Amino acid sequence: MSYVSVQHLKKNYLGTTVFSDINCEIQKGEFVTLLGPSGCGKSTLLRCIAGLTAVDGGKILLDGVDIVPLSPQKRGIGMVFQSYALFPNMTVEQNVAFGLRMQKVNADDSKKRVGEVLRLVELQDFAARYPHQLSGGQCQRVALARSLVTRPRLLLLDEPLSALDARIRKHLREQIRQIQRELGLTTIFVTHDQEEALTMSDRIFLMNQGTIVQSGDAETLYTAPVDVFAAGFIGNYNLLDAQSASKLLQRPIEHRIAIRPEAIELSLNGELDAQVRSHSLLGNVIRYRIEARGVELVVDVLNRSAADLHPDGQRLALFIDPTALCKVA
Amino acid sequence: MSRAESGAVGVYHRVVVYLLFAILLLPLLGTFIYSISSSWSATILPSGFSLKWYVQLWSDPRFLHAFGQSLLVCVGALILSVVLILPLLFVVHYHFPRLDALMNILILLPFAVPPVVSSVGLLQLYGSGPFAMVGTPWILIGCYFTVALPFMYRAITNNLQAINLRDLMDAAQLLGASTFQAAFLVVLPNLRKGLMVALLLSFSFLFGEFVFANILVGTRYETLQVYLNNMRNSSGHFTSALVISYFFFVLVLTWAANILNRDKSE
Repeated sequence: MSYVSVQHLKKNYLGTTVFSDINCEIQKGEFVTLLGPSGCGKSTLLRCIAGLTAVDGGKILLDGVDIVPLSPQKRGIGMVFQSYALFPNMTVEQNVAFGLRMQKVNADDSKKRVGEVLRLVELQDFAARYPHQLSGGQCQRVALARSLVTRPRLLLLDEPLSALDARIRKHLREQIRQIQRELGLTTIFVTHDQEEALTMSDRIFLMNQGTIVQSGDAETLYTAPVDVFAAGFIGNYNLLDAQSASKLLQRPIEHRIAIRPEAIELSLNGELDAQVRSHSLLGNVIRYRIEARGVELVVDVLNRSAADLHPDGQRLALFIDPTALCKVA
Repeated sequence: MSRAESGAVGVYHRVVVYLLFAILLLPLLGTFIYSISSSWSATILPSGFSLKWYVQLWSDPRFLHAFGQSLLVCVGALILSVVLILPLLFVVHYHFPRLDALMNILILLPFAVPPVVSSVGLLQLYGSGPFAMVGTPWILIGCYFTVALPFMYRAITNNLQAINLRDLMDAAQLLGASTFQAAFLVVLPNLRKGLMVALLLSFSFLFGEFVFANILVGTRYETLQVYLNNMRNSSGHFTSALVISYFFFVLVLTWAANILNRDKSE
């Protein structure tokens, strides 16, 4: 049986349906991500699981027990917010100890547990500081420590890295994943960043307009998108309708296809029926905009050396691995 | 901008600031000098300096009584404001954020109606019948509550918007706090600055309020400003000493509040 089971969950807000029939199963110790664009209902789903937003129907089973009737205080769920939500009037130590204070844990135990969790997030030297004396990354680590110290049954992370700069974000996502693995903590992570979702998750639930459109591990989601939305949201897929696909592949195609930009090879040998329209450097990858047989394509090529760069206007041959063609709905 | 230009601009800026200070402080300085001069009528400079007006003022039981009564009415109105407005603000911003727009209109009402007009209305409403309160401090406390409402509401609202009330409440509740514990332990301490600003603003305004006090209670419950008005025919030196004493009291209060309002972490 799944550790977390969301069954036929419904939520309306001001006469609008946020989601009408959400179902998902999460195993104990799993790190799952709710991925989707803004307004798709992922944060609302997270808040419903936390008990911060009332649901209009359905069940949320945590370890076999329906937690919908329970208040947030009684669910045993920890949550980290995008805004950190640290209490400005309290020091780092007091912030982290707040949950234990509410549970009336004795002072010695509390001090020991706060010390442990601060060491876990590498902030033991910052215990006496106030939130305004910390950087964004440090604040988020305090928020993480605060939600871990009460030993929650389930950890919810609501876009915790969105307000941080790229370097800290990368470091923190590795740290979060490492801590989650060490503690074996079942975690639901909400993000709109596909890179974050792909690098961190055991499984991803891709959401759009209040429904889960696809779920699976990172590899499945990346290589086999089920529809146009999934292909457009994950990676920079070339989406071709049946007519364009037939022109490009020079055989009759009766459905839409998606091709990953890195699955297309460019070469100076062979039939030179493609031409570079423009290119841009994305660090280790060069992104070409290519026109081939009247179809415009995006092609990503590993940036090995300056000598490999194809200038704009150059004529090239194009090779597409047939296994990289995805049929999408 | 060259160094010479920036220097000239700097001098201009300083002159404007000093001029503003001079305009604000000059009447006060004049009043202060007048209050410490033994007599100053037909000469350019005072004929001598003395603290006798202050001694006379602070040994007048009627003044001390009026001062105490003013203090009582202001503190009473402010306590009522805090007790009523803090929970109201919490409910509006946490549970019904859409009500904020309505509240913003409501809090303008005390400014929309001139004090003389609303005094007449209050006199009619509370002059007789079951709620006859005219001439008692109660009507003044109630009336001052409405005057303090805009200052309190706006200052605390700004503070509430700055602390991200919803996330703080949610975080505290997920950590096991009840709504009351979350409000008391997490939200309230973070409203200290806004609350102090609101209280200071309101106190300074109410302590110097004259129209409502004079019309609604007059000499039946003499406040400081009514006393000042009643003493207008006595010596100008005496009333100057009163004004300076009043100003000094508010100044000391503001300074003390600022000291108390400093963050431990700063």
